[in-house]
Amino acid sequence: MSNTRPEVIARESWVDADKGTVDRRIFSDQAIYQQELKRIFARGWNFICHETQLPESGCFFLSYIGEDQVIAVRDRQGEVQVLLNSCPHRGNTVCRSDQGKTRSFFCSYHGWNFDLDGKLVAVPGYESYYREKLDKEQLGLQKANRVESYKGFVFASLDDDAPDLETYLGWVGKVGIDLIAERGDMEVIDGIQKNRIQCNWKLAVDNLYDWYHPKVSHGSAVRAGMIDEEGLRYMNQMVMLGEYGHGISGADIGEENLAQLKQVVAAGGDIQGPAQGQVWRTTDKAEEAMGPVGVRSGGHPNIFPNLWVSAAGPPQLCLRIPRGPFETELWWFTFAEKNQTVEERRAAVMVANHVFGPSGLLEQDDGENWSHSTRGSVGAVTGERPINFSMGLGQDKMTHDASGQSYIDTVVNEHAQLWLYRSWQEWMKAESWPDLVKNHSAPPTGDV
Amino acid sequence: MEEFAQMDVKARMLLHFEVEQFLYHEAQILDERRFDEWLNLLTEDIHYWMPIRRTTTLAQVDSEFTKIGAMALFDDDINFLRMRVAKMSAGNAWSEDPPSRTRHFVNNIQVVGIEGDDIQIKANIHLYRTRLESVEDSWIGRREDVLRRDGDSFKLARRYIFLEQTTILSQNLSNIF
Ligand code: FES
Ligand SMILES: [Fe+2]
Repeated sequence: MSNTRPEVIARESWVDADKGTVDRRIFSDQAIYQQELKRIFARGWNFICHETQLPESGCFFLSYIGEDQVIAVRDRQGEVQVLLNSCPHRGNTVCRSDQGKTRSFFCSYHGWNFDLDGKLVAVPGYESYYREKLDKEQLGLQKANRVESYKGFVFASLDDDAPDLETYLGWVGKVGIDLIAERGDMEVIDGIQKNRIQCNWKLAVDNLYDWYHPKVSHGSAVRAGMIDEEGLRYMNQMVMLGEYGHGISGADIGEENLAQLKQVVAAGGDIQGPAQGQVWRTTDKAEEAMGPVGVRSGGHPNIFPNLWVSAAGPPQLCLRIPRGPFETELWWFTFAEKNQTVEERRAAVMVANHVFGPSGLLEQDDGENWSHSTRGSVGAVTGERPINFSMGLGQDKMTHDASGQSYIDTVVNEHAQLWLYRSWQEWMKAESWPDLVKNHSAPPTGDV
Repeated sequence: MEEFAQMDVKARMLLHFEVEQFLYHEAQILDERRFDEWLNLLTEDIHYWMPIRRTTTLAQVDSEFTKIGAMALFDDDINFLRMRVAKMSAGNAWSEDPPSRTRHFVNNIQVVGIEGDDIQIKANIHLYRTRLESVEDSWIGRREDVLRRDGDSFKLARRYIFLEQTTILSQNLSNIF
């Protein structure tokens, strides 16, 4: 399928925030895709890995920024480096294992050897063939322009002008990560589930905010007894919209419920069932980090562009990595508290293994819908009709908490999806970070 | 293993034949989507498991598969397998309705050990499927099964599946291996 249409990339607008519609061509156009790799992935802060995946010097993990493959590695000083996996000589990859431990990165083509911080340390034939005329200083592995970690979650950007990570995340992005980080001393459980879906990455991302689909898409999991229909009936929603396109959408634990839980915990009461998984929210530390509104969030955050924090069950992250306009790779990272008992760990792993991932009883059916929606953006006529995100549009308003955290208190809606696409368009139109900083929309404050 | 090697050749051939027939029969009922019958072939203590595989260097190849207790692609007991089957038959399991067309090939079957009633099997598996107009998936791997004697047939007491793919190249794993 060849889908480069110059008239599509030149369009004034792909997203109509007033009508709640989105141009389908953004899911299939090759030129738009190329621009996303530059203006969204290379520019933004991308989740790379968690520090516990790199326990010692020499431990590495292969990851991606868009289609740029990067090596996350702990260097000799104990710092995490993020290096582009491409030899400056001919471009060959210097690391071909998904993960492992190494002393250096040795290029299998002509043998240039790079230290763990990317420095070129050995060149075969440096004296005899190059006759010492090679600027080794300039020929190290390229480092990601920016690498920062938030509570152990490593992010990188390929743009010097990116704001620092915490500014980028803002309160919404930070609450998103905190939904995992504030539970305790967390680590990644061995095994990243990876699979490929024939869909555009954005359709996979917008779905994580979509509380409209479970009853239908996952109806068979309900019938089989995997998910409780009661749980899907309760659909009070809390939506938080963050600068630069972050968002959280989903259940509100509720002020009273949390207060009640706090009392039980303080009295040393016995907590059973699903409430056990919420006890971490009752600490002063969690409330201080996340704020009185953030700490109530039972929803799904997305750290723009493509990091889903799934925190309702066992804490997990899912990256939606683009592989061309028509393909997306899903990577599931599963977290657990380091000091968990064997039984607790086993129970968490079982739930994680059964819900998401390619065989997960929920996720099995998602890819089917995303790939067919992507396909619906291709036909000459089919692809010209915008798709619709108008649920709740113009009918809700922001609630302002004294803490400064604002949210929409509503029912099932499509506010966060529309915010995602609206922000996506601003990223795509902006020429640079300074341009984006100047011209991006602040999250709405009044009626939405 | 010893036990099997020490059996006389006719006894070994007979056992091998019985094992083969069982595995072929199982493959057939899976391809015919007779999943309730498939559940009847399983023991109550079955563990059905497919680890995650990673590309590693040869030196670190012993860490290419995740271990039991870590993350996996399948990690099911009998109750969860019943749930999988219930889901597939629910009438609204979109990944399997319209149904996948599958073909299981089981070959290179080897009896690798006998422990009481349990017979340890290794076999190669090729699961081919098509869906709808143009979805085509092909998974090849090794199965390590334990078959338990049950009257004049067997039940499946353990199935470990080691695929050759690392990143799963299909949009889901909605079939039984
Ligand atoms: S390409 Fe790496 S040494 Fe030549
Ligand atoms: Fe879903």
